Formats: sequence, C-alpha cells, structure tokens
Amino acid sequence: MNSTQSPGAAVRIENLDKYYGTFHALRNVNLSVERGEKIVVCGPSGSGKSTMIRCINRLEQHNGGRITVLGTELNDDVGNIDGIRREVGMVFQHFNLFPHMTVLENCMIAPMIVRKRPRAEAEATARRYLEKVRIPEQATKFPGQLSGGQQQRVAIARALCMQPQIMLFDEPTSALDPEMIAEVLDVMVTLASEGMTMICVTHEMGFARRVADRVIFMDGGEIVEEAPPEEFFTSCRNERTRQFLSQVLGH
Amino acid sequence: MEMVVVAPPAPGTLEDLRRRFFATPLQALLSLVSLAIMVLLAWKLLNWAIFSAVFTASGGPEACQAAAGACWSVIAARWRIILFGLYPFEEQWRSALACVTVVVMTVLSCIPAFWTGRRIGLVWAAGAALYYVLMKGGVLGLPYVGEEAWGGLALTLFIFVTTCLIGFPLAICLALLRRSGLPWISRITGIIIDSVRSLPLISILFTFAIVLPFALPQWLVGDKLYRVILGSALFFSAYQAEIVRGGMQGVSNGQEEAAMALGMNYWQRIGRILLPQAMRNALPATINQFVISFKETSLVVIVGFFEILASGNAAYGTGEWRFAYVEVYAFIAFIYFVFVFSLSRYGAFLERRMSVGER
Repeated sequence: MNSTQSPGAAVRIENLDKYYGTFHALRNVNLSVERGEKIVVCGPSGSGKSTMIRCINRLEQHNGGRITVLGTELNDDVGNIDGIRREVGMVFQHFNLFPHMTVLENCMIAPMIVRKRPRAEAEATARRYLEKVRIPEQATKFPGQLSGGQQQRVAIARALCMQPQIMLFDEPTSALDPEMIAEVLDVMVTLASEGMTMICVTHEMGFARRVADRVIFMDGGEIVEEAPPEEFFTSCRNERTRQFLSQVLGH
Repeated sequence: MEMVVVAPPAPGTLEDLRRRFFATPLQALLSLVSLAIMVLLAWKLLNWAIFSAVFTASGGPEACQAAAGACWSVIAARWRIILFGLYPFEEQWRSALACVTVVVMTVLSCIPAFWTGRRIGLVWAAGAALYYVLMKGGVLGLPYVGEEAWGGLALTLFIFVTTCLIGFPLAICLALLRRSGLPWISRITGIIIDSVRSLPLISILFTFAIVLPFALPQWLVGDKLYRVILGSALFFSAYQAEIVRGGMQGVSNGQEEAAMALGMNYWQRIGRILLPQAMRNALPATINQFVISFKETSLVVIVGFFEILASGNAAYGTGEWRFAYVEVYAFIAFIYFVFVFSLSRYGAFLERRMSVGER
C-alpha cells in the first residue's frame, strides 16, 4: 500500500501545518491511512509525531491543511469533532485512567453516556474487553491498585469498549517498566491481527517490524521517510533516519 | 530456609508512661506539678459546672445567687428564647420541628445512598417546603409568622443551610467560568471573585439588607431575610470558588484529554471526570469553609436578626438573669460545638471514603 489517496481512506491528512506560538511544530505533513492498515510513527523527541496523531482526534487544533477522518472533515463543527472522537480510540503514554472509578466503571462510562448504551450491555462489553486484554479479575479494583502494565491494558480496553474504527497509540509503552512492556505489546499485536486500523507512535522497533504495514519517520515536524518495515530497517534513504535507527537499534 | 522474625516486645503501658514522664527526677517533678494543676483545674470546673450548680428554675435567680456554682437555671428558664428567639410562644413547637427538619435533611443528604440527583433533589425540595410551611404558616390552619419574628437556632440553621445551598452551586459556576478558555470571561469572573473577597462580610450584609432596597424596583426587593441570605451566599461562593478551582488544578490535563478522546461533551467531562476529582482534592478546605460559614451566621445580628447568639444576649439581658451570662454563653458554645464538631467528623468520614481509590 502506498499513500495515493483512495476515497475509502480511514484517515487522510493533507498539507497539515501546526504552530505553537511561533514554533512550527508540523510542516506540510501528508499522510493517508487505509482501513485496516497499521502505521508506526517514530522519530526523535520533539519531532511532531505526538502532535500529529493528537490532531487526528482534535486534542490539538491544526492551523493549516485538511484532516479527514472516516470521510468527515475535522473543522470547528463540534458535532463533527464529537462524532469523530466516538469512532477514534486513543491510548496515552500515562494511561489517564479515571482514578475515582473502578476498572469496570472506567470501561463502562463512555459507552453509557456517549453511546447511550444500557448499563447491562455496557457491562457485558466491558467484561468482554477486559477478558481480551487478560485482566478480567481486576474489574472491581481502582486504577491506583494496578501495575503500570495492567493500567495500560485497562486503558486499551476502555478505548475498545467504544468500539472504535481507528485506534491511536501515543507512546503506550514509554512510561512502563521494561518487564511490563511485553504484556502491553502482546495486546496490541492481537488487536492488529484482528484487522484494527492503528496508528502507533512508538519506539518499539520489534513491534514495528512485526505488525506495521508502513513505518513513518518524522523529524523537525516533517515526515522524512515512509516505507514498509523491511525496507525501512534495511535500506532507508535518509541520513537522519539512519542516524536515528543506529541510536534506537544500536544496543 | 525460613527466617523467623521476632518483633521487639512492645513496652507495657506503665513502662511507656514511666519512660515518657518520669525518666529523670526533674522530669518526674514537672510531671507531678503539671498533673496537680490539671486535677485542680478539672475539679474547680466540675465543682462549678455540676456539684455546686443550680439546675432547676424553681428557686428563681435568688437561689442561684446564693449558690457557689453555675446557674443553669437560666437555661431552664430561658431556653425557649435562645432556641426560638422572638417566635410566638404558643407556636414554638413549629420552630422546633423546623430545626429537626433541617437536621434530618442535612443528615440524609450526607448519607452516600442519597447521592443521586433525584433522591437528593427530593430530600431538599421536601425539606425546604416543610421548613417554610412550618416557620411561616398561613396555611393548613397554622397562624402566620413573618420572617422578622424568626430567630434563635431555627434562624441560624436556616441561614447556614440556605447560604450553602445557594452558594455552593454558584461557587462551582464561578470556578468553571474562571478557568474558561475565553480570556475576557475568566478575567471578569476573577475580578468579581476578588472584589467580593476584598469586602468584609459585614459590609456585604449591610449593603444587601439596607442599601439594596433603594436600588431595586419594589417587586424585586423581597424580605430582608432573603436578601441577607443572598449576600452571605455570594460571600461564601467567592471563597468556595477559589477552593474548587484549587481542587481542579490538582486534576491533570490528561484526565480531560482522555474524556475528550472518548467523545464526552463539555458537561459530561465536567460532571463525571473533572468535578468528582476536584471536589475530592478540595474536601478539607471545603469543610473548613462550611465551618467558618456556620459561625459567621452570627453576624446577621447587625442587620437586626436574632439568630442564636443574639437570642442568647436577649435571654440574660433582661433584668433578673443579668448575672448569669457565662452560663448562657457556655450553653450556646455547646450548641455551636455540637454542630461544627459533627461537620468536621463528617468531613473526616468523607475523606476516608473518598481515598478508597488512591494508591
């Protein structure tokens, strides 16, 4: 797959520009993601990768260009924004679970109040996804009582309970202790194998190699390199990419 | 291999006392002297308050003056004025029932089982209606009693509860407006909050009671009591708004982002995610504010209301019981203590309950 644009694209980003004050955070970014495609975005810190995926569900407002998600353009229309957020799940670096609710309530609240699902149905869905991320036994605990890896798996389940069509992952393993990274990546691999459209900002190159359809390298607010994983890791063209790869893979 | 860890034996109570208070001869001496002083003071107090005190009003003030101890007969003779103020004597049972209504309503709304919008709304609507009908009368065969005759504990409770009831939602609105993304809204709200906080409560009460009627059209003036409550609620909300805002600052941005990413709209994010966590953070300061407000109700005396403290003044101020003011104030202090202490303990209970989810 390449980024020639087809009408059925899940996410289409055209000439995206984003400023923080005078700082030019994203420069003319173009990216198209097909349904079912898995994209891994990597790059040095401050390269704009998080900013880019946060623009997709409007946690950041872009200043120029167009973003179309599932055929709806993101603009100032609040109805559009809420509609898109319902279909786009997100997993954060610091989990951001709601600490005043149990694990089960964390998973039930959005389906109940946003999708207006009845309680029983929301609970059944929540338990199914907690099963899927392999922590059904923690349902009645509070987030503060779980390990980082467990919290992140709950966060994935919480996003999945909205039954989104696209999942965004913003450095989901960066805040975890090394021994917990695998349990989160396993869940993500399973999700990928079931055909979810995924855009992952991560430095886990093993995950990228295994799962990604395309790997994107960003630096200085631009997409520098975009290639299928085998090509990306073996024969990348750009000097900056090579330097970055030698740093992440070097030891 | 299994290790058996034996904790060092805990010292017995006697041993512990000896170590703390009788470690050296000088320390032992100081401990004994302090103990003697405390026993003496306790004895004096008990002797005054109980053993040599007069409890019944039958002997009149003369019996009191003959006795060495406290004159509790003043309470026995004048408790109705202290509790009910100028409320008509034959109707005072209504004022007593109204006090009970407020207490029951408050206790009910403190029980977690009542924390759903519908139940708490029902409790307050029923409670408020019952209080109003009981106090004001004019229906159901109850004789009419105007607000100017309300007084004592019933008035203190009414002012406190309505101040909180109006002030608390107002405080949350002010806090939300102050963190608005639109700079002119947050700035204007900030100016309002800071202005109200810069004024003494007495001047606000005075303005609302005395000055406002000149500025308002006749149909909007209402009874002085409700204007005073509005003023006191405004004052309460200015302080409480800053407490709520402080609580909101303790909630990380990630919480709101996560709620947004799940598609929740503004009010869902505020009501389900931000406020529950902010109120948990703000709880100790909030209880503090409630306690202060309860005690500040005594300031309404300057605009002519006989709440419990002013009623107490009236209870001993007229002639024969003039000498017994210490007993009257001790009794009023005890009533304040019962309410404020329960409030504080309830705050402690809430803190324990809410900390369940914390690590």
